[in-house]
Formats: sequence, C-alpha cells, structure tokens
Amino acid sequence: MATIVQTDVLWKLIVSAFVAGVGITAVFALAIYGGTRFIDLRRADREAAAWAFGTLAVLAVAAFAAATAYGIVVMANKS
Amino acid sequence: MSSDVTLGIVVATALAFDFTNGFHDTANSVAATISTRALPPRVAVGMAALLNFAGAFISLKVAATVGQGIVATSHVTSTVVFAGLVGAIAWNLATWYFGLPSSSSHALIGGVVGSGVAAAGTGAVQWDGLTEKVLVPAVVAPVLALVVGAIAIVVAYRIVGNRRPGPVGRSYRLGQIVSGGMLSLSHGTNDAQKTMGIITLALIAHGDISADKFHVPTWVVVSAATAIALGTYVGGWRIIRTMGTRIIKMDPAQGFVSQGAGAATILAASHYGYPLSTTHVISGAVMGAGAGKRLSAVRWGVAGNIAGAWVLTIPAAAAVGAATYGVTRIFGTGAVGPLVVSIVLLAVLLTGFARRLAAGRTLTAEG
Repeated sequence: MATIVQTDVLWKLIVSAFVAGVGITAVFALAIYGGTRFIDLRRADREAAAWAFGTLAVLAVAAFAAATAYGIVVMANKS
Repeated sequence: MSSDVTLGIVVATALAFDFTNGFHDTANSVAATISTRALPPRVAVGMAALLNFAGAFISLKVAATVGQGIVATSHVTSTVVFAGLVGAIAWNLATWYFGLPSSSSHALIGGVVGSGVAAAGTGAVQWDGLTEKVLVPAVVAPVLALVVGAIAIVVAYRIVGNRRPGPVGRSYRLGQIVSGGMLSLSHGTNDAQKTMGIITLALIAHGDISADKFHVPTWVVVSAATAIALGTYVGGWRIIRTMGTRIIKMDPAQGFVSQGAGAATILAASHYGYPLSTTHVISGAVMGAGAGKRLSAVRWGVAGNIAGAWVLTIPAAAAVGAATYGVTRIFGTGAVGPLVVSIVLLAVLLTGFARRLAAGRTLTAEG
C-alpha cells in the first residue's frame, strides 16, 4: 500500500501545500494591511509609524513577487 | 497509405481534444477573476489564452511521460489512442453541457484505459499505476485544496478584516490578475504537453521519429499550444458560471485565496512530481474559501454534483473509449474505422452547433 500511495511524497506535498498556500495568502494580506495602514497613518501625520507599515508592505510585495518567480521556475523544471 | 490516414486522424483528434481541454478548463483560471470583476470576461479569457499559449513553450518534460505506467505501451496502437481521445472529448463536452468542472486529464486516461481494455483485455491496464497516479491524487487534490483554502481565507480575514473594504477589495482584485495568470501559465505548461506527447507517440509509432531519441517536433509544440489557447479563448462559460458563482458567492479575498492557494498547491505538487488535477485543486480551493468563511456559504448540493462527475469521469470516458474502439474494429484494423467514426462525430457536433445557432445561442455565449 505504501508503495502505491507514496506516503513520504504525500506528506511532503501536504506540508508544502500548507506552507505555500497559506503563506502566499498571508504575505499578500500583509502587503494590503501594510499599504492601507501606510495611507491612513500618513493622513494622520504619523510619519514614523506610516513608514514602518510602508516598509512592511514593500517587503511583503517583494516576497509575493519572489514566490511568483519561484513558481515559474518550478513550472519550467517540472518533470 | 492507410497508416498515413490513421496518423492524420489521430493528430487531428488529439488537437480537437486539446481544444476541448482549453475550453473546458478556462474556468480554473478565470472563474474567480470574472466573478469578482477583477477583469472583464473577454479580457480575462484573452489573457488566459495568451498565457496558456506561452506556458506550452516553458517545458517539454511532461510530454515524454504521457500515459506511462497506466496502460501497457505494447497495447497502445493508433486506434487505441484515437478511441481514447474520442472518449475524453465526449466526456469533456458532456460535462461542459451540464456546467460541471471535471479533469480533462482523467477523461483522457479513462478513455485510453477503456479502449486499451477493449483492445487487449484488462491485462493491458497497469492497475497499480492507475491507483497511484490517478485515483489517490483524485481524492487528495480536492481535500487538500479545501483545507488549505479554508485556513488561508481565515488567515486573510484575520489580517485585513478590519481594514476598509474598498482598498482591500481593489488590492485583492489586482492580486487575482497575478494568481489567475499563474494558473493559466501552469495549465499551458501541463496540459498542452499531454497533446504534444500523444502526437509524438503517434509519430514514433508511424516511424517518423526514432523511439530512442524522444523529442517533440516544433510544429507539434506550436499546434498544441495554438489549439489549447483557442479553446481557452472560446471559454466554457457554463463551467465558468458554476465555478465563479454557483459553488460560493465570492468576494475578492475569496477569489484571490482560491486562486493563490490553488496555484501554490499545484506548484507544490509539480515540485514533487505528484500528479494533481488543476480542476480538482481549484474546485476544492473555491469550496475551502467559502467554508472558511462559514460552512453554509458553500452550496453543497452543487459541490456534490461536481464530486459525482469526478467519480464518473474515468468509467464514463472509458465506456465511450471502449465503445469507439469496438465500432472502429467493425471496419477492420485499417484507417476506415477511425475515418467513419470521425465523420459521424463531426456531423453530430456540427448538427448540434447548427441547432444552437438556429435557436439564437452560440457556444461562446457569455450570458
């Protein structure tokens, strides 16, 4: 049964799907959160806090872009 | 001469299957995008078609593995492949008619299994391979995607739930263009290669390519990419409607989560070489994105109908594949059988299309 089901690969897939699926949505949500907080705090003249959230948004967008690029690499190396 | 005609018919039927594959699976990448108004319908399917076309050129590794380990290669003749393709096309069209998303890859496998059994008996099928590569992943894919989608939407709502809905919705719609694009690219990379693999195997069987040096000719890559892109552009609107509005009523966050978590699951599976169906994953992720908000947000009756179609995919495509093989054998082992079946099927399809046109509807109607 273990050879038919490939349990080791299946477990790796389950863990990876959770990390990637939940991770990518969390990262994008953080980008939105950071971006919207940046706008609100700048309107309230709280520059330091605004830039902190702005940095969070930029980092999250960069992580999202990196994950997207990595996805394309996975596609290209698919076997 | 007879083998040339058979090869021509197999190539044409494989491209027809590729077209229905694109047509049938458009919903996977555009249903959420259209449902949440991230893009206008025609722009969404146009982008999906272009990315499916581009995706077909990214990698050719899957093409060399088509059908391996499921039906014994010694029993796979041109007629078996032809009959299997007819079974897959018939199932794709039937599920499109009822607006049910189902796996085109499983339909193809079912069709070839059926025609293989009709040609050489049950010994032609490698049942362990079928279980490992098709049946187990068919159970894993939707359940995994549903759970990942449900957790992901809870996390997303926790992070942005107290922000103003306007900017949040606009941002998620923007994100959907990327996540939907990734799904389209992945679909082109994966599914167009199946057709390339089938045509290449037919060319090897015909003696045009050496079996020792498997390579996909450029004209095969271009024609398969074009067929899947055209099919995608035509769009299976009935299935788009089911995926986009009938399983759950989607908000932009759910649209992004179903596509993003779905794409991540598919790419994780690709990374480990585990064959998950895009349709099963995306359908599961859509249900998860609904269930994570609240269980009653999912129309479980519609979900049940979809699951029923998944259970029937392999047996139904196999039955049509076996019947098609049986009919072709009435005319002997040459090209006459596939030719007669092709002409009859084409006539049936054209009659159906003409009747729809006469009734004022078209296959591409978005409404």
